[in-house]
Amino acid sequence: MNEKSKTLLRNRPSLVVLLWLAGIALLLAFPFLINQERYILHVAIVVFFNICLATSMWLIWSLGFVSFAHAGFMGIGAYTSALFFLRLGLPLWFGVIAGALVGALIAMVVSLPLMRTRAVYFFMASWAVGEVIKRIFAYYRGFFGGWEGLFRIMPPKLGPLDFANRTAYYYLAMVLMVLIVLVVYRLNKTRTGWIFWSIHEAEVLSSHVGIHALKYKVAAFTIASALAAMTGALYAHYHTYINPKSFDIWTSEFALVHIIVGGLSTAAGPVLGAVFLTIIDELLRPTEFYRIVIFGVILILTVLFLPGGLESIPKRLRLRLWKLPEDKDTQKSIAGAFGKGRK
Amino acid sequence: MTLQLTVQMAITGVTLGLIYGLIAIGLTLIFGVMRIIQYAHGEIYMLGAYFLYYWFDKWHLPYWAGFVMSAVVIFFFGAGLQLLLFRPLHGKDMLYSLAVSLALIFIISSAGIIAFGAVIRGISSFVTGQIRIAGAEWTFERMVIAGISLVLIIALWFLLQRTKIGLAMRAVAEDPETSSLQGINNRRIHWVAMGLGSALSAMAGCLMGTLMFIVPSMGFLATIKAFMIVIMGGLGSVPGALVGGFVIGFIDSFLTTLATSELAYIIGFVTIFVILVFKPSGLFGQAWE
Repeated sequence: MNEKSKTLLRNRPSLVVLLWLAGIALLLAFPFLINQERYILHVAIVVFFNICLATSMWLIWSLGFVSFAHAGFMGIGAYTSALFFLRLGLPLWFGVIAGALVGALIAMVVSLPLMRTRAVYFFMASWAVGEVIKRIFAYYRGFFGGWEGLFRIMPPKLGPLDFANRTAYYYLAMVLMVLIVLVVYRLNKTRTGWIFWSIHEAEVLSSHVGIHALKYKVAAFTIASALAAMTGALYAHYHTYINPKSFDIWTSEFALVHIIVGGLSTAAGPVLGAVFLTIIDELLRPTEFYRIVIFGVILILTVLFLPGGLESIPKRLRLRLWKLPEDKDTQKSIAGAFGKGRK
Repeated sequence: MTLQLTVQMAITGVTLGLIYGLIAIGLTLIFGVMRIIQYAHGEIYMLGAYFLYYWFDKWHLPYWAGFVMSAVVIFFFGAGLQLLLFRPLHGKDMLYSLAVSLALIFIISSAGIIAFGAVIRGISSFVTGQIRIAGAEWTFERMVIAGISLVLIIALWFLLQRTKIGLAMRAVAEDPETSSLQGINNRRIHWVAMGLGSALSAMAGCLMGTLMFIVPSMGFLATIKAFMIVIMGGLGSVPGALVGGFVIGFIDSFLTTLATSELAYIIGFVTIFVILVFKPSGLFGQAWE
């Protein structure tokens, strides 16, 4: 057996890869399964955006931080792309790259001082960052359009394909979603991902074994913010209209809720949470304000009775069915074994 | 900028600073004793204000009795929240208590819109009249409100420094394990502190509602302010909350008059960011892990 066939054998498609391929195939076929119903396509696109946000936020969480500046960076991407289109006439393809670059640059500059703060202070400092970004959009009326926002941000064209068509935009959003989930999922599996979790568990200890914690923290924050900015660019060209309110703290908070309800310990958590909650949210839309009340109740019930989130359901079922002893390790790793929050 | 305008803005700054201080002290007390982020603190403040509105303007009962009743009712409401929702999460990651209080914001503010209607209302004044000093209007209402806030803050200081239960609270905040070894019932201290913090917030709501207006969405704005103040002063620090309250009160009063409220927010948040960069745990805070 030569070297090449050995590698092939080692890299034979595992169950995970097959699941990924099946999932992507299902998503590709989805518009035709529902007969290209416009409303359902719209919900699917919203689900995709929410998955993008929640998953990229989860990347920051894998280092033990919750960034409330996330919606702000989504806004940076959206405004960059919108201004590229409105001022320079360049379509989304340039805007999404420019948005990611601008988002990454600002994220990197901001995160250097931001990462000095810890735990609860980080959460509030990042909130301040997000709030300043949003209010700067509102304050400079001439450039960013103030509270009224920017209009007529048209979807791009690619040869004969016009993305004003909702089915076409569905595929565009899907590509971004798959890309982001894949990046975060793969990154989490690599050595870098393990280093992220080691910082999450015990930052001091990991710096003692030679990990440059600040470098990894800045890198993760920058990558995640750039991914959020790309989501923002697609968001702007889908809705064709943006204002600062779309990128306020609530957007970040909903992403956080998606992660908590979905589960905190694997990349599947934010995906499950975003899909489940966005669909619930759409179903409850006719109930107006009761929808937010029910949302809150679901969140409280999840935190109190299902602390591992939706992703822990299969494991719980397995434990229940086979009457295995409760596994404390998962709980512990989520709660942060090394003294996060004094007992 | 004339003297008259300066004095007027200073009066507003002091009044706002004292009321903000009340909200923020409640928040910092809750964090200090329990290490939870009570994100729905502003919604509690909203509930307190609406209680007084119904008591005084709808049922025509005496103002001060309503003020006290609001504090008492919200005290038990806060204590109930602690016993029902926050106690099971004690000792877990802060994210869980953050999630629960986030859910409380969703529930209370939307239920508030359903129950009270999204209309701007005001609690009527309990006293009218004014005098002019240095060209500025000193309304009696504003002076009484500032006085009440000051009395409440001093009373809280007295409670924390000079009474047994205050000592117990400080002990729990300092070191929960050692304090329970000394025979302090930590769980009881927790719900008392939660109730007390909520009651302070409710009373601030009553005063602010009398001074300005009430609307079901006022809670989140108060949460923003309270957190700005608490971060600035350092979480768990009562003097820090008072100093932060004055800083934000003055920024609000001066910049809103001289420029726009937009700029007041931007400057406020930039100030916080800068403070946190140079002092990562606030002006008077400790580094909580």
